[in-house]
Amino acid sequence: MGSEREELEIEMETLVSSSQSIKETPTVEIPHNISHSNVARSWTFSRILEQLWKSTKVVIFTVKINMLLPFGPMSIILHYLTKIHVLVFFFSLIGITPLAERLGYATEQLAFYTGPTVGGLLNATFGNATEMIIAIYALKKGMIRVVQQSLLGSILSNILLVLGCAFFTGGIIHSKKDQVFNKAAAVVNSGLLLMAVMGLTFPAVLHFTHSEVQYGKSEVFLSRFSSCVMLVAYASYLVFQLKSCHNLYNPIDEEEGRNKDDSDAVEVPELGQWEAISWLAVLTIWISVLSEYLVNAIEGASTSLNLPMAFISVVLLPIVGNAAEHASAIMFAVKDKLDITLGVAIGSSTQISMFVIPSCVVVGWIMGKHMDLNFQLFETAVLFITVLVVAFMLQDGTANYFKGLMLILCYLIVAASFFVHVDPADGNV
Amino acid sequence: MGPVGKPDPELHEETLVSLPLDARKMHTFEHIGSLAAVAQSFTPRKTRSRLLMSIYIVLIKAKINVLLPFGPLAVILHYLTGKQGWVFFFSLIGITPLAERLGYATEQLACYTGPTVGGLLNATFGNATEMIISIYALKNGMIRVVQQSLLGSILSNMLLVLGCAFFAGGVVHYSKDQTFNKATALVNSGLLLMAVLGIMFPAVLHSTHSEVQYGKSEVSLSRFSSCVMLVAYAAYLYFQLKSQPSLYNPVDGEERQNEEDVDEEDVPEITLWEAVSWLAVLTIWISILSGYLVDAIQGASESWNMPVAFISVILLPIVGNAAEHASAIMFAMKDKLDITLGVAIGSSTQISMFLIPFCVVVGWSMGKQMDLNFRLFETATLFITVLVVTFMLQEGTANYFKGLMLILCYLIVAASFFVHIDPTSSDD
Repeated sequence: MGSEREELEIEMETLVSSSQSIKETPTVEIPHNISHSNVARSWTFSRILEQLWKSTKVVIFTVKINMLLPFGPMSIILHYLTKIHVLVFFFSLIGITPLAERLGYATEQLAFYTGPTVGGLLNATFGNATEMIIAIYALKKGMIRVVQQSLLGSILSNILLVLGCAFFTGGIIHSKKDQVFNKAAAVVNSGLLLMAVMGLTFPAVLHFTHSEVQYGKSEVFLSRFSSCVMLVAYASYLVFQLKSCHNLYNPIDEEEGRNKDDSDAVEVPELGQWEAISWLAVLTIWISVLSEYLVNAIEGASTSLNLPMAFISVVLLPIVGNAAEHASAIMFAVKDKLDITLGVAIGSSTQISMFVIPSCVVVGWIMGKHMDLNFQLFETAVLFITVLVVAFMLQDGTANYFKGLMLILCYLIVAASFFVHVDPADGNV
Repeated sequence: MGPVGKPDPELHEETLVSLPLDARKMHTFEHIGSLAAVAQSFTPRKTRSRLLMSIYIVLIKAKINVLLPFGPLAVILHYLTGKQGWVFFFSLIGITPLAERLGYATEQLACYTGPTVGGLLNATFGNATEMIISIYALKNGMIRVVQQSLLGSILSNMLLVLGCAFFAGGVVHYSKDQTFNKATALVNSGLLLMAVLGIMFPAVLHSTHSEVQYGKSEVSLSRFSSCVMLVAYAAYLYFQLKSQPSLYNPVDGEERQNEEDVDEEDVPEITLWEAVSWLAVLTIWISILSGYLVDAIQGASESWNMPVAFISVILLPIVGNAAEHASAIMFAMKDKLDITLGVAIGSSTQISMFLIPFCVVVGWSMGKQMDLNFRLFETATLFITVLVVTFMLQEGTANYFKGLMLILCYLIVAASFFVHIDPTSSDD
């Protein structure tokens, strides 16, 4: 770690060429465990500016996706100048995409400093921070159906579209053989997804069969209880994953192990620890700001585009929101590292279904909103059959282009179904 | 292929028609090629004897053709009496041998076209009977009959045919579990699940009254889903025929094993053009009988006092699949379970991913409102059946107990349809 800091320092010297820093070089030879004193020593104004500039350069200017960054401020301007909700919606959506990707990057960087355990936890919690932020904003506005549908759409797009594209491209490139992945991890995730489906099915069926004790209140109560249970299940899944069979369930460690000589790999943290934390905070705030405009524009966009709200929440929102994960999953599949692809796609779905959704119910409970797990019968049925199809596809541990194509075609059918779906006008269903 | 096969029928012909001159001519020219031989045979006598030979091979040799007279009988009954029940039953029995011979003619044609196109032929015309019956019903606007008969065909293939085959094979080979190619079964199960997905969404959309335009939305969704499913089926054919032919086409293995066995299907028994013409003749014959069959369904339901659902889902497919049924059981007893699976599950996959979407598209072009909304009860039945069968197949072994369970499941399904009618109100 010390040598890296040394490198950074030397780079900064060449960048800013301040005589002051040259005098401080001898102190850098001191081992890294007194990095605190380094930071304290560097708290002069120009130092801060240099660090800020360096940080910004690494985080913002090195990645091509950040070309989309200006869309964010543009959407805010559009919101105040014009009232065209469609443009505000799309621009804020496109503006969030690079922020989500950078948030993931900052989380990764922070994970270097905290070690694999807390790093895994961080990834598990903040991996879908964007969806969580958007959901909480929608919840605050009382748009409960939007919350349910956007989270459902995120799950569906992860297990069908992202996974399908990854399998398809990987299968085309490696057409001579079936690609293999860790069956055990896939089966555990499928089991968790099925448990989530069970948690979602019971309130929906209870409501649909009009067989609850207190109409309207019972499913909320059941949903809150089920959410707590699901959160406990997710917590124990994390413990199970991080504690036992460490190398079985965390193939990214294997990757890092194999690439020890490859200095291009993710091993070297590019940000300091405090930089990572501050960037996390900055990006989260930025995403929150944009999410608010996004959520406010959904209804207007739906009326002007003449699309059902369900379609926008289930299909459009997640496709753009997951764009970064999508690209990385395909890239890893092409490199024949299907375990990472599965971690991205299926792991994300598990996280949303077993953590984000129950968290939203609990947050709604705290806010006093009636958010429940009753996703209405159509959405629940769609989720159920989709999880079954995917669990079945994954169970033999192989992948080829045909499986990928089937998953993509299934997603087309799902998207088409939501294109012609509205919530029934009467409160019956 | 021609000249090699020709001497036998020629010798046979001699004993039958006694034309020694022509036989000697045939032997002299046998090295030139089948086309020359055919050209050689274009004398009136030759044509007549070839015709008779053809008719003998196709129509008289197989024992199932005993049922052939039922066809014309049904037509006669239709005009003489008004007894729809008898017309229905007789035309059903009359179609059975024709369906079997159609399959035979397709096989024979496949010998000439090579494995790729042969596989394609089998994939498309394997269920030609169901296709013809469905198109007739569609033309009559009997959309529920189409949906239910196709559904029944899938159910009878997956439960009854497979169950009987597993049971019979398991009883004959009771000392061990029979095994089959797990990979093929998994691919087919995956496709069946995808078909269930495609069929479920319009049904759930309709039953939760959550479509944008009541009545029109599911039809549009069904048409879109059908196109997607047809693309998936085409990709499946491509995938099956291109990659790993030895893995997915065990019949090749069979042919290689039986190369010395001339009795096998390797040697075509009729020429290419005979196969094509027989295909055409049998198709026309089946179409005619299907017309009478479909017209008689309603009347049969009333006179026998059975729901139309039961007739469409259970009776129609049982008799229609009789030939496949028999061959699946036979192959299971010979411990060739891969062929059994190809017949049973492959047929189900073909119906669910090709025939049903194809009917929707045909209905689209005809202007009929055929959609994938099979109504909640039928969709639920299909769903749970596919789940059960997928689960049974996933470990790649079979025994008589699995077979018995599948048969008993079919009994339950049949009983459910015995007491099922479509609700008379417009919403379900």
